[in-house]
Amino acid sequence: MTPKLTAPARGDNRRTGNAITRRRPAATTLAMFAVVVALPLVVPSATLACEILIFAMAVLGCNLLLGYTGLLSFGQAIFFGSGAYVAALAMIHWQVGLFTALLLAVAAGGLLALLVGALAIRRKGIYFVMLTLALTQMAYFIAYTLSDWTGGDNGLLDVPRPPVALGGFTLFDLETPLAFYSLVAVLFVLIYLGARRVIDSAFGSTLLAIRENEARAAAVGYDTRHFKILAFTLSGAVTGLAGALYAMLLNFVPLSNIELPMSEQILIMTIIGGTGSLFGSLLGAGTIVILGDLLSALWPRWMLLLGVALIAVVMFMRGGLWGGLEALGRRRAGASRKTQEDA
Amino acid sequence: MLNVYLFQTLNGLGLGMIYFLISVGLTLIFGLLNFVNFAHGAFFLLGSYLCYTTVTLTGNFWLSLLVAPLVVGLLAWLLERSLIRRIYHLPHTFQILVTLGIALIIQEASIMLWGPVGKSVPAPDLLRGIVRLGDFAYPQYRLFLIGFAALVAVALWLLLERTRFGALVRAGSESTETVSLLGTNIFRLFSITFALGVALAGLAGVLSAPLRGANPFLGPEILGVAFVVVVIGGMGSFGGALAAGLMVGVVQSLMASLWPQGSSLMIYAAMAVVILLRPYGLFGRA
Amino acid sequence: MRRDTLLSTTLLAATLGLGLAAGPTQAQDETPITVYGVKSLSGGNASYGKYAEMGSKLAIDEMSAKLGRQIDYVSIDTEGNAGRAVRKVQEAIEQDGARLFNGATLSSTALAVGKEVNEAGGVFMTPAGADEITGSECNPATFRWSVPTYGAIQQTLVPYIDSHPDAKRFYTITPQYVFGEALLRNAKQVFADKGVEHVGNSYHSLQEQEFSGYLTNAMAANPDVLVLLNFGSQSSNALRQAINFGLNQQMDIIMVWSSGLEQLQELGNDNIDGIYFGAQYWHEADTPANRELVKKVEEAYGITPNYPLAADYTMTKTLLQAVADSGATQGETLIHALEGRTYQGPTGEETIRATDHQVLKDYYLLEGKGADEMTDDSDYADVVSSGRSFLPPEKSGCQM
Repeated sequence: MTPKLTAPARGDNRRTGNAITRRRPAATTLAMFAVVVALPLVVPSATLACEILIFAMAVLGCNLLLGYTGLLSFGQAIFFGSGAYVAALAMIHWQVGLFTALLLAVAAGGLLALLVGALAIRRKGIYFVMLTLALTQMAYFIAYTLSDWTGGDNGLLDVPRPPVALGGFTLFDLETPLAFYSLVAVLFVLIYLGARRVIDSAFGSTLLAIRENEARAAAVGYDTRHFKILAFTLSGAVTGLAGALYAMLLNFVPLSNIELPMSEQILIMTIIGGTGSLFGSLLGAGTIVILGDLLSALWPRWMLLLGVALIAVVMFMRGGLWGGLEALGRRRAGASRKTQEDA
Repeated sequence: MLNVYLFQTLNGLGLGMIYFLISVGLTLIFGLLNFVNFAHGAFFLLGSYLCYTTVTLTGNFWLSLLVAPLVVGLLAWLLERSLIRRIYHLPHTFQILVTLGIALIIQEASIMLWGPVGKSVPAPDLLRGIVRLGDFAYPQYRLFLIGFAALVAVALWLLLERTRFGALVRAGSESTETVSLLGTNIFRLFSITFALGVALAGLAGVLSAPLRGANPFLGPEILGVAFVVVVIGGMGSFGGALAAGLMVGVVQSLMASLWPQGSSLMIYAAMAVVILLRPYGLFGRA
Repeated sequence: MRRDTLLSTTLLAATLGLGLAAGPTQAQDETPITVYGVKSLSGGNASYGKYAEMGSKLAIDEMSAKLGRQIDYVSIDTEGNAGRAVRKVQEAIEQDGARLFNGATLSSTALAVGKEVNEAGGVFMTPAGADEITGSECNPATFRWSVPTYGAIQQTLVPYIDSHPDAKRFYTITPQYVFGEALLRNAKQVFADKGVEHVGNSYHSLQEQEFSGYLTNAMAANPDVLVLLNFGSQSSNALRQAINFGLNQQMDIIMVWSSGLEQLQELGNDNIDGIYFGAQYWHEADTPANRELVKKVEEAYGITPNYPLAADYTMTKTLLQAVADSGATQGETLIHALEGRTYQGPTGEETIRATDHQVLKDYYLLEGKGADEMTDDSDYADVVSSGRSFLPPEKSGCQM
């Protein structure tokens, strides 16, 4: 009998987890809390802070696939865009409330990811990547063709931002950027903590095992297909939620949400932040969004610098910003140990 | 009515030869180097712009056929030696990231050098006319393209099948280790192949310039087509690029009469179907 | 974030401080006006944004001197992305108290930004093309300078048909944009009204750059006229390839929505000789305001003005004049000052229609020239006809 879903020993994380988070998981979680609380105070506006967290959420979803399962998916825009469209359409046509809209987005993202995943994982390596690319292009085509629903290239306008309500009673209005930020922040924290639990769980360990050596994981008895599809579903659900929040932030769903460049942007944020690092999602999203704003105000050709940054990250800082911080931490730890020894 | 479909098929074959030219470099690079080049469209773009500059300076299109691919190839060779060779061993993710970065740099640099407004390149005087086929006309320039692409295909085939270099490339795509053990300077082989693959993209850019002009945002669409063709044909397969190029060209052309809105969709759907049914494409191998 | 934010904030604070010290009447004159330009400086529409920016700045300099007031200009780079643009506009509204906006190239950006500015009680002037901007999605804050699809079709196809009685068969190539559909709908109406035959249409997808298949369809239908309803690089490529196929020898070609001078420059004489182009602006239009504009642009930038420049210049100037006249930099006072306003614009006397905030202006039908016919560097086309056609307000779908 082939065992299914039994957990490998916790210790198997050793080779694959990243150093600091493994030894002291609470540290990055605390840092995450600190960032989330401080963000609207540090960046020029709460709206910018919302965008950063929304993309950080999408990056978390992408990381689940790329960082933890080792799957490079160009399909994230499908889930992001669909989440946005579904939430917006539900609010516009059926006047659903906030949480219903968000739940629908999560469901839509998850369901689509289930389908995409089930199809895509039939192939591995570069063929898997190309398949996700093809599927994104197809989704884009469908989105602008169904212009009666999606608004086509004009986008979907007048997307409401319903208040936080329970049983018909409005508890909390989300009109101001700071109010909306608090919702986004709470959801982000929940997703982050949820992701942390998934990573630390048996399921997470299996994903890492699949990333490291799928053949071996299969040989040991895991139904790798199931795990990958589940990873996809979770990724899609989270990304769909991010899309819905983005729709509410802008009161608008542009077609660009479901275009290939959106997938590329999410991937870039993931890799720059640090593949396989949850805290890296914050770093990646924050850096790209803020850097983009700063640079675009200074030089219209700022994208050239982005290109240089991408190359630099791969050449010198493959672990992304998180990897860089880790390395810094290790060097400091080494230095302090040295001074302690000298003392 | 049947006439139109016949003509669309002919047009599609012509288009297919252009697509073959666009994609063959990409497949060559992947075949030997197992390298995913997301800057392929950007080098195509560079070829188009260099064609424009050469034609503007010298008035000679034929010269640009020589100059542009050489310059692009040289650039690629330098890039390979300084940057690309360090990332062969990395997973595809990082190769994609680096080449995306290169593509961005090329795109923005083009705007800096030639401005944000696009440029037109006239077809060479010799080839301005059309050839009449009953109700239809076909541009002389596109006929020339078909012929030229066929020549390039033959030349490449000879290179791959009948020269030592080609043998090394083919052997190397099976096993670089063996080839290296047999005494080849594998690094030089890689450099030359990368430069050749990219130069072919530049050549395609030159040839396509009279049809599409040169503008900084050409890259992504070309890259998309190239990947569709390469995947359908089989990554690393020269024959696959030819067959798939022709197939995609014909499908796209026929779609223009059958279901014009759906031509893009069909191409990507075809790509998805091929990956699902025949993972290594029509002619590819594991 | 915009680099001028700190500067403008400091200036604003200083001026307000001065104003408060000086007393209420003086404070009103001293308040600097800040115009926020939503421009595609990087990303896909960079060619447009560059010239639009020049137009805005020229207007600001001119009006600053003329009104004797400080007028600041802050640039918001959309990066060619509607979502990014909206977020940045929200920030400007919330952080900097921005209320005066102009620009936006993409229709989706214009529509969404208009909504945001409307929420804030500001004013937004845009040259974007979608009918909905002054149609079904109109709102008090949004004003639009360019002519939408009805006028563009009326002012190109009708004069053409009237002057070419032998042209009976028309073939259209339409992009799958909502905008493309609108152009097609209007074109079909004209064909029906004029009793000419619409022998066929080919749709094409949003990213298409290969038109040989659609041109083949066109050839098969044997039309007298090929009507291109696409725009931007797609229209340029469709035209290039059509000429390549020798279609210009067999039939007339009309590009209904061209961007004017810079597109003609890009295409070059070989590709425009004898081709008809619809344009929102042409620098050779003989109106007093246009003659002045051409002179000013030549002096300031050493170039001939093109559509993005002229559009942004005119909108910014009109906006600022209304601000000066009404004494308001936002809200209903300013909106009322703009509604019904008539001024000398580059296409002649232009009026901002009160019911839907559409500027009533001319649209041009141009005919491209060969190299030997050009009298100067920019004389790429002659104006064949010009005029204004707009759906009556009830028909435009606007309910304000």
